[in-house]
Amino acid sequence: MKKLTSLLLVVVLALSMALTGCGSKTKDKPVLKIFNAGEYIDKSLLTEFEKAYGCEVIYETFDSNESMYTKIRSGETYDILVPSDYMIERLIKEDYLAEIDWDQITNKNLLNPDILGQSYDPDNTYTVPYYYGTVGILYNKKVVDKEDLADGWELLRNEKYKDDVYMIDSERDSFMIALKSLGYSMNTTKEKQIQKAYKWLVKQRDAMNPVYVTDDVIDNMISGNKSIAVVYSGDAAMIINENKDMAFFEPEQGTNFWTDCMVITKTCKNTELAHEFINFICDADNAYINTQYIGYSSAVQPAYELMRDDDYKGIAAYVPRTGYKKDEVFTYQSNKIRKRYSELWTKIKAY
Amino acid sequence: MKHFKGMTIPYIFWAFAFIVAPFILIIIYAFTDGGLSLTDASFSLDSFRDIIDPLYATVFMRSFETGIITTGLCFFIGYPMAYFITKFDEKMQPVLILLTTIPMWINLLLRTYAWIGILSDNGILNSALKAFGLPAVSVMYTGIAVNIGLVCNFLPFMILPIYTSLSKMDPSLLEAAYDLGANKIQAFVRVVFKYSIPGVLNGVILTFLMAISAFVIPKLLGGGQYTLLGNLIENQFISVGNWNFGSAISFILAIVILFTISFLKKIDPDDEV
Repeated sequence: MKKLTSLLLVVVLALSMALTGCGSKTKDKPVLKIFNAGEYIDKSLLTEFEKAYGCEVIYETFDSNESMYTKIRSGETYDILVPSDYMIERLIKEDYLAEIDWDQITNKNLLNPDILGQSYDPDNTYTVPYYYGTVGILYNKKVVDKEDLADGWELLRNEKYKDDVYMIDSERDSFMIALKSLGYSMNTTKEKQIQKAYKWLVKQRDAMNPVYVTDDVIDNMISGNKSIAVVYSGDAAMIINENKDMAFFEPEQGTNFWTDCMVITKTCKNTELAHEFINFICDADNAYINTQYIGYSSAVQPAYELMRDDDYKGIAAYVPRTGYKKDEVFTYQSNKIRKRYSELWTKIKAY
Repeated sequence: MKHFKGMTIPYIFWAFAFIVAPFILIIIYAFTDGGLSLTDASFSLDSFRDIIDPLYATVFMRSFETGIITTGLCFFIGYPMAYFITKFDEKMQPVLILLTTIPMWINLLLRTYAWIGILSDNGILNSALKAFGLPAVSVMYTGIAVNIGLVCNFLPFMILPIYTSLSKMDPSLLEAAYDLGANKIQAFVRVVFKYSIPGVLNGVILTFLMAISAFVIPKLLGGGQYTLLGNLIENQFISVGNWNFGSAISFILAIVILFTISFLKKIDPDDEV
């Protein structure tokens, strides 16, 4: 019986080790650990990279910048991350990122110069842009009057389309809509403006009865379940490609211009391999394969142009508005402000 | 049986590592204010002060409502099913029980996505209604959709314990009841149902626990505006990053569940101490 007990114990221990990852085998192959948003790479590129560089890629995904941050904070380590603008700013401030050695990124000249040098990292010391876009309104051309589009974000409060609206279940983007509609900066920290935006959103909720969704908006809009939705430009391009009744526009009150970048963490040991990977993704052919799969606007100019003029020809959502004066980039929020926004957002949703 | 005691060691180790230790961590987080780190945390009741907000009371009430409706529906559908299964030939019964558990072999997410396909505005349900010339209904992203999803997923957990206690019943008890002059309804209420109460309680506890803490199903079928406790906790941990507040809600939920179970266990005739 003792033998059986100890055997069981060994099994339990081995299992728990395997589950927590303490028992990872030391292989000769170099390992690259990547943490990216879900559905945000063509996985065949990973296999190809593994073959070309004789390494092993451990690929994991997250569903939001915040959940990525929480995982990093709780002690998990990765070599490459793909966060968005405001999260990059936070990661730089909190000293999580290593500098990029641009000499190793030989495909640098292929990158879209408009996307380089964003406010969160003016000299691209830490970031290599991956994809970019805006937030706008996707609408069904057969249902929504062309004249109503002039209202911009206020279209989301037009009671003609009650019960016909998908809002975005993201506190920053929702508040962005309200703040922009009221003519404020979307990065405001002034309590009065935040309160006004909160009231805007409450009024919208009561008048329009919208549904707050995340990625499920893509399937819902492809099937045309509702006529109006707030979406990212890249998702809009993908939806319009599947359902030609839909069209996309960016309200004149301004919107969120976002960029997602590849960054290398301070905990990364094999920085050479990490740079090789980033360079591999910035290769024109690879970037084209990738943007075909994802449908977002690539920061690699030749791939972007090919997609714009060929696969997604005529789909305006693939060409996000750049350089518009009223568009802004999200900036870092202090913990206090972040808590305030999320409190109010919970109040709006869970009334 | 004494020499089997050693066998419990791995279980005790398991229970401590994966149940007791995490719960202790939750309690520590709930009563401190250090954010994600435990090293520079100090005792604080701030998280519990935040919960007093009436908003969270609404979420609590909505979760309870959903839990009770789901458990009730599971009972009213599950009990007759379990009862009729026991009426079948003994060789057929295991097959029927197997059939009720087959849906559990498929991943919960897949089953929920299937419901999205059925219930969405242009989905199977509305196409069928249209074919019969009936007006379309908007079920997706409402409480009804959430309850359908929960009942569908948790029904086997109600059927199995009820079936187990019903199948243990000696048929001669029923014969005795008839001999003593009971009619069919009386015999059912006073003999069969009473006999199955332990199974019913187990089923109720299982489904209620799962329904009140569910978060994937309400998120997918109810949309962001149908926030239940599970969603609130998930949101605090994952997007807001306020682990202290999330832990405080989890702690209160655990206490509420503990009280519910001990209350239900009191009704259980098998558990008399």
